[in-house]
Amino acid sequence: MKFWEIGKRNLKELYRDPIALGFLLGMPIAFILIFGLAEMGETPNPSVLGIVDNDRSQYSQAFTGSLHEIPLLEVVPITSEMEAETALNDGILPAYLIIPQGFSQVVTAAEPADFVLTYDEANPSLPQRLMPMINEATRQFLNVEIPLDVELVPQESRIANPYINWFIPGMAVYGLMILIPTVGGIMVRDRIKGFLLRLLTTPARPSDFIFGYTMPFIPVMLISVAIYLGVGFLMGMTIIGNFGLAYLILFITGIFCLGLGMLIGTVARSEDQASGIPWIFIVPLAMISGAWFNAETMPAGLIKVASVFPFYHAINACRNVVSGGVSAGDIGTDLYWIIGWAVAIFAIGIAVFRKSMTR
Amino acid sequence: MEAIQTSKLTKHYDGFEAVKGIDLSIGQHRLCSLLGPNGAGKTTTINMLCCLLKPTAGSARIMGHDVTRAAFEVKKLIGVSPQETAISERLNCLENLYLVGRIHNLSPAQIKKRTWELLEIMGLIGREKDRVRNFSGGMKRRLSIAMALIHDPPVIFLDEPTLGLDPQARRVMWQHISQLKKGKTILLTTHYMEEADSLSDEIAIIDEGRIVAAGTPGQLKRNLQDATSAMLITGENITPEVIAALRTEYTKVEEIDGGLRVSHRDLDFREITERLYALGVTISSATLEQPSLEDVFLQITGKEYRD
Repeated sequence: MKFWEIGKRNLKELYRDPIALGFLLGMPIAFILIFGLAEMGETPNPSVLGIVDNDRSQYSQAFTGSLHEIPLLEVVPITSEMEAETALNDGILPAYLIIPQGFSQVVTAAEPADFVLTYDEANPSLPQRLMPMINEATRQFLNVEIPLDVELVPQESRIANPYINWFIPGMAVYGLMILIPTVGGIMVRDRIKGFLLRLLTTPARPSDFIFGYTMPFIPVMLISVAIYLGVGFLMGMTIIGNFGLAYLILFITGIFCLGLGMLIGTVARSEDQASGIPWIFIVPLAMISGAWFNAETMPAGLIKVASVFPFYHAINACRNVVSGGVSAGDIGTDLYWIIGWAVAIFAIGIAVFRKSMTR
Repeated sequence: MEAIQTSKLTKHYDGFEAVKGIDLSIGQHRLCSLLGPNGAGKTTTINMLCCLLKPTAGSARIMGHDVTRAAFEVKKLIGVSPQETAISERLNCLENLYLVGRIHNLSPAQIKKRTWELLEIMGLIGREKDRVRNFSGGMKRRLSIAMALIHDPPVIFLDEPTLGLDPQARRVMWQHISQLKKGKTILLTTHYMEEADSLSDEIAIIDEGRIVAAGTPGQLKRNLQDATSAMLITGENITPEVIAALRTEYTKVEEIDGGLRVSHRDLDFREITERLYALGVTISSATLEQPSLEDVFLQITGKEYRD
């Protein structure tokens, strides 16, 4: 139980250093508030509209083409009404338009076309933005004015704030990455001040050091994850899937971050190195893993690079659980990837630390 | 069985030979000082003996256990106070001692008993619950040594135990180290000749990775080549004629304020006083100065600046 004593000492060091503790626990709140509030204004992003083409005629395809031409409108073809409804419920789509069967006949007969626009009732201003665009497409359609009758159907969505649902998992993973320089810095500081040297002359084993230095961060990490998810709730996040599964994904990601921090602390020669080196990869990895932007909009090569690392899988898995309601089985690959990295980084860390004990 | 025994102990760093085949033999319950200029290889030697560095060649044994093959056993037998104070600054005295005690598998009851003994010896009673970041340099050093002693090891390594302390604190520390000598083998490194002279049973002078002289402080001083003694004399009738007469007989005769300083190899106190009376000098005071350990050190290691 030597690791327990080393761990207790490190826990005391941690909670008696209010600056470090404030940084660790305050950063999650700061990140969520800054980025979350920044998104609350008007956005220039295009409106997304799903199209369910029940007519599947040349006319309906031409009409869909006209919709594609509208600036600031992103048209997403959907194969069935059921699929569209699911996408709306899961927050993937804010609205969808159903082109009715027989659309080609009413157009050729110059009769009114009966469309149904179903939208997320959590966003009541959406029809006001979409209707002018649909009217514009109608005018452009075959260069003739056709009568249009659009039935507006508000649909209750299970996701109160799709942006927050998308944003929180990415930001939580990014926040956990901050553990990497913190853990590394503490190890290096102890080495510089000779404390680690003293411990290395005692009959303690490498695993005692590794677990002793990572253990005190586990409660910090548990609280951090709770803060991310808790503040997410306060800002309107809705967890469609299993809360425990989302928590588990973030917890394992945090364990990986602790292991990586410990490894960097073992090889770094100064506190500056330990706190500086991690940022060289934290920021780019956060970016290409989709913490701040949708990773799928990145070039394919970058997505391949990102998918090698656990952060990409953690963010994807967490978003799928939070907004998609998927089960552990559906994100098995992502989970194995994160667990594999966590186990590997601890194994490497113990080996490297053992080597560093006697140079 | 010797407490510390090395044979051709060698350490290379990327082509640089830090320690070049050191043979050291320190008996049990002895205090040996390792003296040497900066970069001489003192800390590298201690680090090899503490199992922190792997020797490139040669061997070292602590109480019969090889430092490379039986490092875990060696670590149970040694207590180390590194050059840095190496204490946990946000913990208090009791917590620091408890931590190291637990790593050495002591029970809480054993730690408690030993803690109060050590706090008494090191003069830290009354400050045991204060966070050590508020301690003076001397108190931190004393705690550092107490941490090295918590498991009552037979062999102790003290790397520069008085580094950075003021003269008063240094002398207090010497008293504490003197108390520890009973029943322990201590290897300490220091830059302070007076410290080594006053504390050590044996001294090894190390320079450029080699032991260049070893023995008791007295032996080292006696073996000093060209060991000259000096005598300070004050009195009346110390005329230029007297000085001229003395200069024909002694190596060096200097006029100092109110008297003379006469230097010569193996100066005889009685002989010179009789000679001065014969020359008509009335002696008020006469003091014989013997060569110091610093003279020995400087003669062996040279006077050039090292770093």
